[in-house]
Amino acid sequence: MSELIKLYQRIVQRVNINLRELNFDVNPYAEHLIAMEQMRSFYAFYGITTDHPLDLHFEHSALAGSYFLGKCKVKNSILYKTDVRGDELKRKDEVRKFQNFTLTLKNDEIIDIEDCILIKTLIHNFSHDPETPERFFIGDTLSMDYANIHGAPTNGCFLGPFATVDLTRMRDCAIGAYSYIQAREISHTQTDPGTVWIYSPGDFNFLYKYPQEALAEYIRLSTDMVPLGKLIDFIEEREENFGRVFDAANLDTVDSIPDTSSLDRYAVILPTFSIGENVLISQRAYIENSSLGKGANAQENCIIVDSILDGYNVSAHGAKIYHAHLQQGVFTGFNSFICGSADNPVTIGKDSIVMPHTIIDAEEKLEIPDEHIVWGLVRNRRELATNCISLEKLADIRGGISLGNMHFEGNGKLLVQAFKDRIHHILEVNGAFFSDNKNDGHAQRNQKLSLNTIQPFQFGEMEGMYPSIRIRP
Amino acid sequence: MKNILVKELMVPISEYATVEIGTPLIDAIRALEQAQEKFTDSRYQHRAVLVLDKCGNVVGKISQLRALEAIEPEFNFLTNIKELQKFNFSEDYIVELRETYRAREQVINKDWLRVAGNKKVEEFMQAHSAGEYVSEDSDLDTAIHKLVSGRHLSLLVSNNNQITGILRVADVFTAVFNQL
Repeated sequence: MSELIKLYQRIVQRVNINLRELNFDVNPYAEHLIAMEQMRSFYAFYGITTDHPLDLHFEHSALAGSYFLGKCKVKNSILYKTDVRGDELKRKDEVRKFQNFTLTLKNDEIIDIEDCILIKTLIHNFSHDPETPERFFIGDTLSMDYANIHGAPTNGCFLGPFATVDLTRMRDCAIGAYSYIQAREISHTQTDPGTVWIYSPGDFNFLYKYPQEALAEYIRLSTDMVPLGKLIDFIEEREENFGRVFDAANLDTVDSIPDTSSLDRYAVILPTFSIGENVLISQRAYIENSSLGKGANAQENCIIVDSILDGYNVSAHGAKIYHAHLQQGVFTGFNSFICGSADNPVTIGKDSIVMPHTIIDAEEKLEIPDEHIVWGLVRNRRELATNCISLEKLADIRGGISLGNMHFEGNGKLLVQAFKDRIHHILEVNGAFFSDNKNDGHAQRNQKLSLNTIQPFQFGEMEGMYPSIRIRP
Repeated sequence: MKNILVKELMVPISEYATVEIGTPLIDAIRALEQAQEKFTDSRYQHRAVLVLDKCGNVVGKISQLRALEAIEPEFNFLTNIKELQKFNFSEDYIVELRETYRAREQVINKDWLRVAGNKKVEEFMQAHSAGEYVSEDSDLDTAIHKLVSGRHLSLLVSNNNQITGILRVADVFTAVFNQL
């Protein structure tokens, strides 16, 4: 038996041991995840930059098509087309505050992955577990296609396709497909597909659950647990274009990208496009026939087609925007799908917020006014009426409100403020406010990035595995 | 308490109301009524129905609280109260939500009771956990510890892996405080 198969079986058992209390068996989900041919065919790659500490440590792992940046250790794991972005990790001597505690970090933070199977998963941000400030760990975990583990130390978990866990310490949990969880700390919890839960204890609690039948049109699992649905179709229709950028050793420079903006070498950009100043286009992002104004960004796995983003727009990891006009300052959350058409475009007003994991699939022309927040499944004006509220009204809520399938309890002002602060922070770290050589961020720093590749064993028992290797300056 | 054994206080299973998996709620309640009429010697009436599998093994229990839960209107998939509790919504919020639905006339009425009466017992029975079993020959100290630590209202009494009776908290309470 090959080493890769042995490793795969061992990881599945480890995840299952952690999930035994939930009676959750990952075997059916894992069965079709690993294709030996692909594990052998794709190279892994890593970035070198002077802006982040370089310390990559790969041990007894398969890394096909995966990307690494910063300080990261991967041991006894299988990663497939997974991005491990360590460009926001905490640094040595940084002073962190948590409640009444203050701590000065002794080391640069590291992303520590062990005994995991991660498929097309994004790992980014830093550990939000105050007990492990220097170690962003992900262990005994299986994540499926387009999952996001964002600032969320994770142990013993399963994440379905398009599941996101954000700024949350997570232990022994099974997160359903297209669920978004931001709840500081969860354990021994199982969520249905399409659960959107944002919980800040003592401040606010937001819950939306997708109607299961309607969600299945966008994301579902086949009988052999392969992800299907409109979201997958939308990605696969464009996947071929990535072949060119991954296969070519050198690509032509795109002259029309301003000096203050960054187009990643592994992004796809197709005519006709217009890119403003301070724009960040990350790897695996796809832009076609679209315009991104000053300070806008398209993060990993974003797809923006036939759309206009006026500027200072955050398109978070996995956001998909089609036939839409996003006015200045519109935020599109993780894995959201804004899907208009030539006949029924979507317009979103200035400074509005499309919450993470929102699906706007326009059956008619849809207009979301300025400074509104929209969530859940919106296909027409009737659904928009129950899935959208002005930020002003939301900020006035004290106590609770139930609208359609959404429940909110707590202080609305704190939720609005939390979103606004976070949007500002994302724009800031991405370099949207860069001016006169000040306030630089990812858009400017990524230009100083060079990339190297590493290859797997092609034959024998180790086929598909990578040699153990440590990369340091 | 060591001189009192569990088997001296338990209610034999033959005296208990039992129904099989697949029985509708309404029939389970009828079985409970019949058991209450038949066995009146205890000052504490039977308040629960045991659910048996096809082989006669006890697989669950329906208490009065579970039966009431079963007749609560299911407003829709999201307002499932357990879901809201799971996601840390407060009791105040849940009570307010109920009032909202009450205002929309989604309350318990005859039509709804008819629907609820046809629910199968397995949909709302309480499955037994490992700590809910006690041997016939255990002394009362052991039983009290299990009742208190597990916050149970009754324990299943076994003899050689067979369920032979139910030990109710009310009977234990009476026995203990009579001695006091």
